[in-house]
Amino acid sequence: MKENIQFDAIVVGSGISGGWAAKELTEKGLKVLILERGRPLEHGKDYKGEHMTPWEIPYAGKPLRELYKEEYSVQSTSYAFDETTRHFFNNDKKNPYTTSEGKPFEWIRADVVGGRSLLWARQVYRWSDLDFEANKKDGHGIDWPIRYKDIAPWYSYVEKFAGVSGEKLNLPQLPDGEFQKPMEMNIVEKAVKKGIEEHYSDRVMTIGRVAVQTEPKNGRGACHYCGPCQRGCSVGAYFSSHSSTLPAAKKTGNLTLIADSVVERLEYDPIEKRVSGVQVIDTNTGKKTVYRSKLVFLCASTIGSTQILLNSTSQSFPNGLANGSGALGRNMMDHTLGTAAYGFMQGFDDKYYSGNRPNGVYIPRFRNVKGQDEDVDFLRGYGYQGGARRLGWKDMAAQTGGFGADFKNSLKKPGPWLIYLAGFGEHLPSAKNRMTLDDKLVDSFGIPQVKFDAAFHENEFKMRKDIAKQGENMLKAAGAGLVGSFIGSGPPGAGIHEMGTARMGNDPAESVLNKWNQAHEVPNLFVTDGACMTSSSCVNPSITYMALTARAVDYAVKQLQEGLI
Amino acid sequence: MNRRELIKIAAVLLGGSLSSTISSAVIANADNANSTRAPQNPFFDADARKSVAILAELIIPKTDTPGAIEAGVPDFIELIVSEWYTDLERQVFLTGLADIEDYSKKAFGKSFRLCDRKEQTAALTWSEKQSKSHRGSSRPGDNTLSEDAPFFLKMKELTVLGYYTSEIGATQELIYNPMPMKYDGDINFADVGRQWSS
Repeated sequence: MKENIQFDAIVVGSGISGGWAAKELTEKGLKVLILERGRPLEHGKDYKGEHMTPWEIPYAGKPLRELYKEEYSVQSTSYAFDETTRHFFNNDKKNPYTTSEGKPFEWIRADVVGGRSLLWARQVYRWSDLDFEANKKDGHGIDWPIRYKDIAPWYSYVEKFAGVSGEKLNLPQLPDGEFQKPMEMNIVEKAVKKGIEEHYSDRVMTIGRVAVQTEPKNGRGACHYCGPCQRGCSVGAYFSSHSSTLPAAKKTGNLTLIADSVVERLEYDPIEKRVSGVQVIDTNTGKKTVYRSKLVFLCASTIGSTQILLNSTSQSFPNGLANGSGALGRNMMDHTLGTAAYGFMQGFDDKYYSGNRPNGVYIPRFRNVKGQDEDVDFLRGYGYQGGARRLGWKDMAAQTGGFGADFKNSLKKPGPWLIYLAGFGEHLPSAKNRMTLDDKLVDSFGIPQVKFDAAFHENEFKMRKDIAKQGENMLKAAGAGLVGSFIGSGPPGAGIHEMGTARMGNDPAESVLNKWNQAHEVPNLFVTDGACMTSSSCVNPSITYMALTARAVDYAVKQLQEGLI
Repeated sequence: MNRRELIKIAAVLLGGSLSSTISSAVIANADNANSTRAPQNPFFDADARKSVAILAELIIPKTDTPGAIEAGVPDFIELIVSEWYTDLERQVFLTGLADIEDYSKKAFGKSFRLCDRKEQTAALTWSEKQSKSHRGSSRPGDNTLSEDAPFFLKMKELTVLGYYTSEIGATQELIYNPMPMKYDGDINFADVGRQWSS
């Protein structure tokens, strides 16, 4: 086995969290190595689906059914997966995982440098103390070791660099951030907003807060409204590791990035009580190498980082590295998605829009905001993402009988205005929801496969019902017709907001990480991706990973300089 | 359009996706433009190819804008039937073509290809009637049209998809703006007069 010792810090993973860790560490003067399991990818050049015309897309976008079933059975369930993006995604056949009987789990993952930062939906919402205090108040999970004031300056720090557009609302449950000018609502969204806000004193609708620039800043362009961000953006209008953090890290001259290198395990030195090495397997050759550094940042995604720790067993840590508490792999959370209300707005048939806005509208949480609401039979809450648009030719053609000139001419005009509101609900932490390593099955590198045993429970089921009901009520209040709803039944993972399996906490007996994302038991080990989350809130989590990562690096480097790590 | 239809649309629309972002793109590389829209090897015989072209043009005829044939739809249909369809889908499609041929011979005493426009329209109308009892979505581009969906729905789905995603359909019949540069959420439809192709 080859050994390699020339780095101050190793960052595992180059997605949203890993990119931030690398940027912050290199800018503080540390020599940093990023290890990435995915393939190399070059910003711009490798966005082969970007700006592809409808007539260039293979089979006009019809799914390649046999291939998807055989090799992308999980990934192809993602809304972002098609022939314009498939080259970013994981091959499920080559990277299998398993689940407990009757407990499906969808693990959506990228397999390229930059990870899911290329593919994310870019929605950015700060957490509030309503979120940080939730566990303590209702007793589910353990208390967060931080509060909003601890992270607020770091939100500001990362938002300015990431480039976030949005509207300030001055709501305690959804703190404002450092926003570029907001995107615009369309005329029907404005009408629905007015209807809802006139009818409900506790509810507001705003344009989505989104990590897509509306102004050219940070050496990156403004959005040109072509639409499908997930194909990649050469001008870097949306935040990804490629557009933002990796170039900043490279600029320092302190960054080395090695792709095609999957981390098998971390080596632990029981005398120094430190991680002493990071062992990787070259995904092409199978060759093993150990890299050494003073600091290790695990940013391999919630599941990836937890898998590495569970696989890093030793005499000191027989149940996984830094797992003296037994919390590692437990409290897997996601958000419940797929429950939505919809309706059709009349009176706007002469109105239309131009441009493909890569963003929708947002209704912040209004349930259980000032304590437990009397008329609510579940804990915590949910927010809605949605939008209004006119149905297009694809939607209308199948509903229109006949053929010929009249049929053709009818499709010249867009269809009715559809408005929909889709709920994103908080998932309570539960030790029963967990991931482990299978004791028999291994992947193509010989690494034990992840096994999921997680589900939604009664609180989420009740919440889904309320999402559908309140969504319908709001759309009716706003004047929509033909209002309906459906209740989602997607498994955990489908929200692609998995988190919680190496949670932060004050007590080393019940948590893996301390309030600085540092492993209680291993001072030179930090985990700053979604694994660290102690609860799930109902808002999209990525900006919180960014802020926690920058905060953890600041702490780690100070500790290192003071000789404490 | 009735309530049942609208609700069906909404279910299809929202079932799998929360992002309303639909595809759009920039000017094509002309060399690649049609590379994916014709079969690598011919699949239909000459008669079938002719019938498919006539049917496609009946569904989306030339008006003040080009029709299905000019937009290359027959090649696209041959591509899908030969390379993308399952055996069952292919069988339903070919049987449906043969049924139209049989119908034309019985009703008009000649091959569908030799019928006049009125007779061909009658044959396709007959085919549409045969499909009425089928339940299920036929949203073009999705995989929601069941494998055993009748010939007429398959033919219409492929014609619509092929036409509106072709360069002619997207840019001449509808409008296409690969680089809008801004979002305007309140314009008069009359100012553009056609819907966006993507």
